[in-house]
Amino acid sequence: MIDQLQFWAVFLCLAFGLFFTFVSTVGVLRLPDVYSRAHTASQTDTLGAGLSLAAVALALGWESTTIYTVLLLFFVFLTNPTAAHAIARSAAESGITPLTAEDELESETVDDGASAPGDTAVNAGEEGGDHA
Amino acid sequence: MAAERVLVPLSDTVTVRQTVGYAVRAALEDADAVEFHLVAALPYDAAVPEGRSLTEDAEQLLTRAENWVEEDIDDTDATVEIETAVVGTNEYLFGPRDFAEAFEAYATRHDIDQVVLDPEYQPGQTAQLIQPLERELTALGLSYEEAPVDRPARHERLIGGGTERFDQLFATFWISYGFYLILGDPTAPFDLVTGAAVAGIVSISLAYVTFTFPLGRLRSPLRTVRFALYIPYLLYEIVKANLAISVVILRPSMPIEPVLTRVNARVRGGLPLLALANSITLTPGTLTVRADDQRLIVHTLLPGARDDLFDGALERAVRFVFHGRSGARIPTPRERDDTEIIGGDDV
Repeated sequence: MIDQLQFWAVFLCLAFGLFFTFVSTVGVLRLPDVYSRAHTASQTDTLGAGLSLAAVALALGWESTTIYTVLLLFFVFLTNPTAAHAIARSAAESGITPLTAEDELESETVDDGASAPGDTAVNAGEEGGDHA
Repeated sequence: MAAERVLVPLSDTVTVRQTVGYAVRAALEDADAVEFHLVAALPYDAAVPEGRSLTEDAEQLLTRAENWVEEDIDDTDATVEIETAVVGTNEYLFGPRDFAEAFEAYATRHDIDQVVLDPEYQPGQTAQLIQPLERELTALGLSYEEAPVDRPARHERLIGGGTERFDQLFATFWISYGFYLILGDPTAPFDLVTGAAVAGIVSISLAYVTFTFPLGRLRSPLRTVRFALYIPYLLYEIVKANLAISVVILRPSMPIEPVLTRVNARVRGGLPLLALANSITLTPGTLTVRADDQRLIVHTLLPGARDDLFDGALERAVRFVFHGRSGARIPTPRERDDTEIIGGDDV
């Protein structure tokens, strides 16, 4: 009974961990610019890695190695925002203008070609791939 | 020849004497009449009652610096005028941006043509997240020159420093010892002995790097406990935000609404700001792009995430961790009008 419960708990954690990693990958492919992609890239680290590590901890049971997975998670939670912030800040500093809601509305109402050149360059790949 | 006006921001660093010396030398090389503006800027602490001693320290430093300038110009026949000033007494200088603005305002008022910076002078640089003074000065269009100085390696004395130093050593020792034992085996005598040795070395060599601020004997453990309470709450927020964003990403129409916002966070000091900015980034849907002092520029992806940000739940939680329950009772950023939606060009 306990073994059964443990098995399903591990299974569920792994499944959801994989699911969020998958969503994050889809997000990176679909979202329009570097800023919005940074949002979803952190999902892999927070829930993707988090649930997978929880599965590892559950599979190991009460062992000293279980503590390592918790520590690992702690450090992932420290490094993840640092990396996301570093990416966003360096993007901002190299002059990449984030695509904002107003720009998008404009490009929808006017014409795709009429939006700012930087935005179209970023958009081109996704628009072609996803909405086709 | 027109008088050159030189602004030298001062603070009590190891290289302040050399900076003044350099400023005098450099200015007298190519001008006969020089006006020196020696300026000390007070950090935000000046607003509290203990700040009076800060003001006195600044004034003493300015008097000393004035003497140094007089010493250095002794053997030249140039006309030299010395002006001293303390800025920031009735402002609230928090980060490098505020300091840079204060110096810029002073420079405009007095028609300054040259700024000489002390490389050790890092006002408001309480976290690496914040952009340094040099950068802010460049952004404001104020040109500066960094004084070439020799400086000794930074280290602390092993003995002395009083209870503050002892507290730092004590805390670092037990934190590193605990970590060592978690990684090792807390019951094995070998690990206990080597752990104590390692923790001793770590605490002696790194205590003053780990804690750049004085620890409170009651406050610091209390903060750790409150931080432990904060983690489950943060996890809950992360899961909530993750679900919201997953739904949006997987919907074929992908109804995102990316907006850049500026939030004026009411957290004081580098560590709370760091905790808040990191928590904001950790929840998907909000991403800290920049931290200009307390003004966080946050990229938000969904209207829901933006509302949460403007409601300031995370800010209140961080204030709870650092200032206790009374500190958490604060109007939301929206209510106190500290939020702003900015265009994409303003990053």
